[in-house]
Amino acid sequence: MSKHTFSIGGIHPQDAKFSRGCATEVLPLPPVVYVSMAQHLGAPAVPCVAPGDKVKVGTVIGEPAGFISAYVHSPVSGTVKTVAPRKDILGNNVMHVEITVEGDEWEETIDRTPDIITEIPTDRNAVLDKIKMAGVVGLGGATFPAHVKLNPAPGSKADCILINGSECEPYLTSDNRIMIERPSEIIIGAAIMQMVLGGCRCVIAIEDNKPEAIASMKAALADLGYKNMEIAVLKKKYPQGGEKQLIDAVLKRQVRSGALPISVGAVVQNVATALAVYEAVQKNKPLITNTMTITGDLLPVSGQHNYLFRIGMPLSFIAEQAGGVPEYAAKIVSGGPMMGKAVANLDASAVKGTASLLYLSKEATKRKEEGHCIRCAKCADSCPMGLEPFLINRLYKAGDLAGMEKASAQDCIECGCCQYSCPANIPLVDNLRMAKGQVMAEIKNRRNNGK
Amino acid sequence: MTGIFLWTVGILAGLGFILALVLFLIAKKFKVEEDPRIDLVEKALPGANCGGCGFAGCHAFADAAVKAPNLDNNFCPVGGNDVMKKVAEILGYEVKQQTPKVAVLRCNGSCENRPRINEYDGVKSCRVKAALYAGDTLCPYGCLGCGDCVAACAFGALSLNPETGLPEVDESKCTACGACTKACPKGLIELRNKGPRSMRVYVCCSNKDKGMFTRKACKAGCIGCGKCAKVCPHGAITVENNLAYIDYTKCKLCKKCVAECPIGAIHAVNFPVLKPKTEEKKEASNE
Amino acid sequence: MENKIVSPNPHLHSRNSTASLMRDVIIALAPAMLLCVLCYGWSAIMLLALSAGFCVLIEWAIAKWMMRQPSIFCPSAAALTGLLLALNMPPTTPWWTVLIGSIVAIGVAKMSFGGMGQNVFNPAITGRVFLLVSFPQQLTTWDIPRGFISSIDAVSGPTLLMQAKLDGASTVANVDLLKTFILNPGGSMGELSGLALLIGFVYLLCRKVVKPWIPLSIFLTVILVSSIFHLCNPAVYTGPVFNLVAGGLILGACFMATDYVTSPMSDWGGVIFGVGLGFIVMMIRYFGSYPEGVSFAILIMNMTVPLIDRAFHRKKYGYGRA
Repeated sequence: MSKHTFSIGGIHPQDAKFSRGCATEVLPLPPVVYVSMAQHLGAPAVPCVAPGDKVKVGTVIGEPAGFISAYVHSPVSGTVKTVAPRKDILGNNVMHVEITVEGDEWEETIDRTPDIITEIPTDRNAVLDKIKMAGVVGLGGATFPAHVKLNPAPGSKADCILINGSECEPYLTSDNRIMIERPSEIIIGAAIMQMVLGGCRCVIAIEDNKPEAIASMKAALADLGYKNMEIAVLKKKYPQGGEKQLIDAVLKRQVRSGALPISVGAVVQNVATALAVYEAVQKNKPLITNTMTITGDLLPVSGQHNYLFRIGMPLSFIAEQAGGVPEYAAKIVSGGPMMGKAVANLDASAVKGTASLLYLSKEATKRKEEGHCIRCAKCADSCPMGLEPFLINRLYKAGDLAGMEKASAQDCIECGCCQYSCPANIPLVDNLRMAKGQVMAEIKNRRNNGK
Repeated sequence: MTGIFLWTVGILAGLGFILALVLFLIAKKFKVEEDPRIDLVEKALPGANCGGCGFAGCHAFADAAVKAPNLDNNFCPVGGNDVMKKVAEILGYEVKQQTPKVAVLRCNGSCENRPRINEYDGVKSCRVKAALYAGDTLCPYGCLGCGDCVAACAFGALSLNPETGLPEVDESKCTACGACTKACPKGLIELRNKGPRSMRVYVCCSNKDKGMFTRKACKAGCIGCGKCAKVCPHGAITVENNLAYIDYTKCKLCKKCVAECPIGAIHAVNFPVLKPKTEEKKEASNE
Repeated sequence: MENKIVSPNPHLHSRNSTASLMRDVIIALAPAMLLCVLCYGWSAIMLLALSAGFCVLIEWAIAKWMMRQPSIFCPSAAALTGLLLALNMPPTTPWWTVLIGSIVAIGVAKMSFGGMGQNVFNPAITGRVFLLVSFPQQLTTWDIPRGFISSIDAVSGPTLLMQAKLDGASTVANVDLLKTFILNPGGSMGELSGLALLIGFVYLLCRKVVKPWIPLSIFLTVILVSSIFHLCNPAVYTGPVFNLVAGGLILGACFMATDYVTSPMSDWGGVIFGVGLGFIVMMIRYFGSYPEGVSFAILIMNMTVPLIDRAFHRKKYGYGRA
């Protein structure tokens, strides 16, 4: 099979998947967890427990506060201590439920046996309801509630679901590990989503820098023998895991500016989401665990880990379990080094979408002094959306809103390719993000006024 | 030789005449009739085009002022009452006197008061920084210190003090146009009444966290204890969301709250020196 | 413990820098410069060193004392301009001509526009053209100084292009073009060996410093235009291969026209730029009063770059295919 990749732009940063060989370990329970109510895109959940309440693993502690919102469950058993604002990794105040851990008692409905249930349910609405009740969100980075994405608006129909196993960000290896260790469960999860979307085609896309994962997934798929499902091997290039890029790479279709992937008949879900769907539907287990990578550019192999964590664990606790924050780390990133967030507050707790703790040295991450644009066009060559970052940057500085819209600032996916390749160290993404925000606000404003 | 000379002069002169004629005709045809008063009003305005009045610039303001039935909604904060009086004379309108205002920064999170807990390494822009995270201190409400307000000020009235990391307002230059209040992503700058002889009392903090957290974040933060509200004889102080606020329309500058505040978050500026204690406060706020 | 850094994404950088890109171009020029040194000896070394030295010094002085922005000073970029300027002059150019050329290149063409990245015209070409029209004698004295390898049996005389212009195309009909391409003493330093320049250019392509579209379109246009004319009247118009290898076309197309700052930013814009450039080169060579037109063509096309950038944009995602 010939290897595909997306057609426009892209970069090849150093792979740096140092922790690819580290088997997933289960973290012990901390004495106390802080469960954030804003673990998903959309409205934060509303806490439905009060201090003093006893909770078990899997008890609902937060209810969705809107259409785009999600349930939050207790990751531990114990007593609710406080329900109060607490700082998240960016230092912003977010409602948290603090639970003191007592034992490890799970809700009776959760199937904790290791058996793999291969039988795929057929009641679409019941499955969607299960996914919603389990609080499953997209684990590829955006944490968009899965049940909303899997239930496209009437009139639009999916003809292909893409399971994103590309993990194109450098350093991250957690998706790689689950594909090696739990391939059948991922494939069953994919098949469930395939059923929900009306039996469309399903493609599991994996980049060619993960041969073990490809082999393991192929073997599992052959064992299960599902029809209408295939594994596509993609040529490594960042940002392959971007929704629009993946659709371009696998289906050779492009989502129109401002439209959703469903408009070209595609739904994209991450492999970790597929696993969460499997657990939610077949095992009744809500989304309270996920896999994360502990890695860094100068971290010795002994410090590299892939962990199965429970949400609400303080990041500092997780870092301690992995041997503490290394001396050299000048920046801690949660998520990949290209699109992840820098951790401003290590006391914050892990959330559903936490993908890593990445320790970067000063040499690797400290920004250099901004120079003058030499018009080399490397930013435009690397932009996977075909934009001209140098131009949008200039228009943003000049405050030319109409010009920014014409240059399609609103299509920026903030992948960081332009800034990564800029020889003059111009902070393009910082400014492009602002430009995008301004144009989006303007478009929204216009739409509201038009009505 | 003479022939060439004459030809050259003739052609150039002819060309000049024809082009002048074209320009004249175009100017005549496309002439825009404008109310002459707009020009007069615009000349009376300060001409800074700061946008503080809510219009795009001085010309837009003059245009709106001429077309409006009265001057109630049009006030040039930069020119103040003097300029508005002139504008009113030109247009034959009444003008409402407005109290002069001045920009006031409601944050005292200097480097000394508010320890930095991380190092920001992005674009030096408050907007970008605020979009990224809560800031490089434990106070998610305080000044980010990147100087967007300084850049927004058209009058050079703001400057960043490298020692405190906070912007400072030069009262003699501030025209209360309000550009900085819009530029600050945290909404820390407020336009307050300038007060008699520029004397003002205000809460120099915008932190809405509980007192416990505020204390941890900043030595000078309002903890919302409410002592000031209790002591105020004029009912000018309200405490909401753990933050005291002094209503400048009610404040009579008695300074009882200043003495009562356990943190020193209430600042009294430009008061004549009476007691050594007040002087300390004054110096602190002027630094 | 030191405070952790917090910044927006991305958290990594390619470690490309303006200086490293310029360094790559200088490395790409190395084979050509080495050949110059071998063939022209000490005069070539002097010329290269003087020109690069003057340019760096002038840029530093202007950045420090006139613009008061020391950060704008980029030694590798200035040195590159200097080296290109040297390659655009005959090996016997006197030192004061070099100095004037450097002042014009850096001071007038680059720094007066605001320095790095702001200039409209290619600095090295501007310097050369200024010298060519101001000091034609120094710039067209094609003496060949003693080199380190004496086996080169070169004689001083007019360049091939000049010969074609003065005595007609038929006089250069029997020139060994392969030899001209590999080694052709006489003319500007950069006209010595097209092969060495192309080797350097391949290095640039491999390092992804430049893209091949501009030189390719220049070469193709030159071939096309000269083929048409040559077929019409071979006695008056020189042939396509001759026009490719003679003169400074390879240097101009590969190293001067591809200058980031003064060339279009989109691929298709680059093609238009190259086509226009190739066409103007041929028009000057065939009909102009100068035997060589690459420098003038580059300057003329430099002026069109803002327009080309305005007209040609990249293909955006999600606007073409549904």
